[in-house]
Amino acid sequence: MTAADYVPSLPGATRVWRRDLRVFSKVWKGALLPQFFDPLFYLLAMGFGLGTYLATVNGIPYKQFVGPGLMASAVMWAATFETTWNIFFKMEETRLYDAVLTTPVEVQDLVLGEMFWAATRAVIYGTVFTTVVTLFGLVDSPWAVLAPLFLMLGGACFAMLGLTFTSLIKTMDWYSFYYTLFITPLFLFSGIFYPLDKLPDWVSVIAWFTPLYHLVEITRGLVLGPDALSVVGNAAWLTVVTAALFLIPVRAFRRRLVA
Amino acid sequence: MSAVRGRDLRKSYGRIVAVDGIDFDVPVAACFGFLGPNGAGKTTTMKMIYGLAAVDGGELTVLGLDVSTERRAVKARLGVVPQEQNLDRELTVRENLAVQALYHGLPEDGRIDELLEFALLSARADSRPGQLSGGMKRRLLIARALVNNPELVVLDEPTTGLDPQSRLAVWELLARLREEGVTLIVTTHYMEEAQRICDRLVIMDEGRIVAEGAPPELLERYEEDTLEGVFLQITGHSLRE
Repeated sequence: MTAADYVPSLPGATRVWRRDLRVFSKVWKGALLPQFFDPLFYLLAMGFGLGTYLATVNGIPYKQFVGPGLMASAVMWAATFETTWNIFFKMEETRLYDAVLTTPVEVQDLVLGEMFWAATRAVIYGTVFTTVVTLFGLVDSPWAVLAPLFLMLGGACFAMLGLTFTSLIKTMDWYSFYYTLFITPLFLFSGIFYPLDKLPDWVSVIAWFTPLYHLVEITRGLVLGPDALSVVGNAAWLTVVTAALFLIPVRAFRRRLVA
Repeated sequence: MSAVRGRDLRKSYGRIVAVDGIDFDVPVAACFGFLGPNGAGKTTTMKMIYGLAAVDGGELTVLGLDVSTERRAVKARLGVVPQEQNLDRELTVRENLAVQALYHGLPEDGRIDELLEFALLSARADSRPGQLSGGMKRRLLIARALVNNPELVVLDEPTTGLDPQSRLAVWELLARLREEGVTLIVTTHYMEEAQRICDRLVIMDEGRIVAEGAPPELLERYEEDTLEGVFLQITGHSLRE
C-alpha cells in the first residue's frame, strides 16, 4: 500500500454517508424507538428508582448525576451497533462494499464515510435522549446546547473503535468478546453510575485510558456547568484516539476487500 | 490503442498462482471473451482490471491508464457486472441505480429511467432486489454498471445460472451496447456463448492463455467444429473437469 491509499476523498466519504442516510430515512421510525427506550429505562430505574434512596453524589442529586452519563452511553451503544453488526453484514453477507469499490469510492473513503454515518446515528440517539434529560428538568447549564457537537465526537471515537475491531475479525462470533469484555465494562465502570474519585487511584488511571470516561466527563460538565479546560482536554483525548486508529481499519479493510 | 492491455500480468494468493504471466490486448469497441474452466484465472484477471485485486507483477493499462496508480480515474470510466449478486438489498431497484449515480458523483437524472427501460425493469422500479427473479437481478446489475456511461464494461459470467430465456435477454442487452460502441469484456465457461457473442477471445487454463483469436479463426486453426473441441485439443481435458 502506498501513502495515497490512506488519504480519503471527502466527496467519496460523503457519498457513502449519503447512502446510509437514505436507508435510515426509510426505516428511522422502527430503528429510533427501541434504542431510545434503553437509556430511558436506565434513567428511570437508576436515577429515579435508586435516586430515591441515594439522595446526592458529591453534592449532585443522583438522577442529575446519572442522566448526563446515560447521554454518553447512548452514543456509545449506537455507534458500536452500527460499526459492528451492520458493517460486518454489509461486508460479508450482502457484499455491498465489493460493489461500492468498483466505483471511484476507495477503501479509505468507505472507512471515513461509515465513521461519519455511525457518529451521525449516534448523535441522533444521543440528542433525543438529551431532550428527555432536559424535559425531566435535569439540565442546569445553558452549555448543554453544545452537547450534540461533543456527542458527535464521542460517536466518531466509538465508531472508529468498532470499525477497527470489525476490520480485524474473521467471524461474527468475536463480537461477543467485544461486547462482554469491552463495551459492557465501559458502561459499568466509566463513572456513569458512581464517581470514581473515592475509589483507589489505579481505577482512575485505567478509566483515563478508556473513551467512555472522557465522554461522560464532557456530557456531565455540559449539563451541570462546565470547566472549559476539562472539556477541551477530554475532547482532545477523543480526537487523538479517533485519528490515530484510522490507519488500522483502512489497511485491514483493503487487505480484506482488495485482495 | 487498446481498451485494455496486459503484459506479463501476474497474480498469486499465497502459494497459489492465479494468473501466471499473461499478455492480451482488448480492442476498442470489441466484445472480448475470456474463456476457460473454473479456476483458470478469469475472475482474478477481471478483478485486476476493475481494481478489486492488486497487480502483483507485469503491466496492466485500462483505457490508457495504469490501474495500479490511477484507480479512481479508471473506475470512473468503466462498468462492472460481478459474478456475485451484490445489489443493495435495503434499497429499491430505482434507488440502486440512484445510489450508483451518487457513488460516481453524478446527478440522479433521466438516465435512470432510460436504464430501467433498457433493462426491462420499469415495471419493477419500486421492488426490492429480494423480490426479483435471477434474470431480473442480472439485468439490474447490468443497468447499474451503465449508470456512469462507461466506455468499457466488464462482465464476469453474465449468464451463469440463468434459464435460456433470461440468457437470451442478457445477450440482447449486450448486443445493443456493442451497437453503441461500448467495449465489452466477458468471461464465460459456456463455449456456445463465447462463439455467439465474442468477436475475439482468449482461452485460459491454469492461469495462462493457451490460445487467442476470433472464434471462426480458432475453429479453422484447430480443425474443430466447436470451441469445446478446440479447448479439449489444446488442454487435453474438457471444460467441466
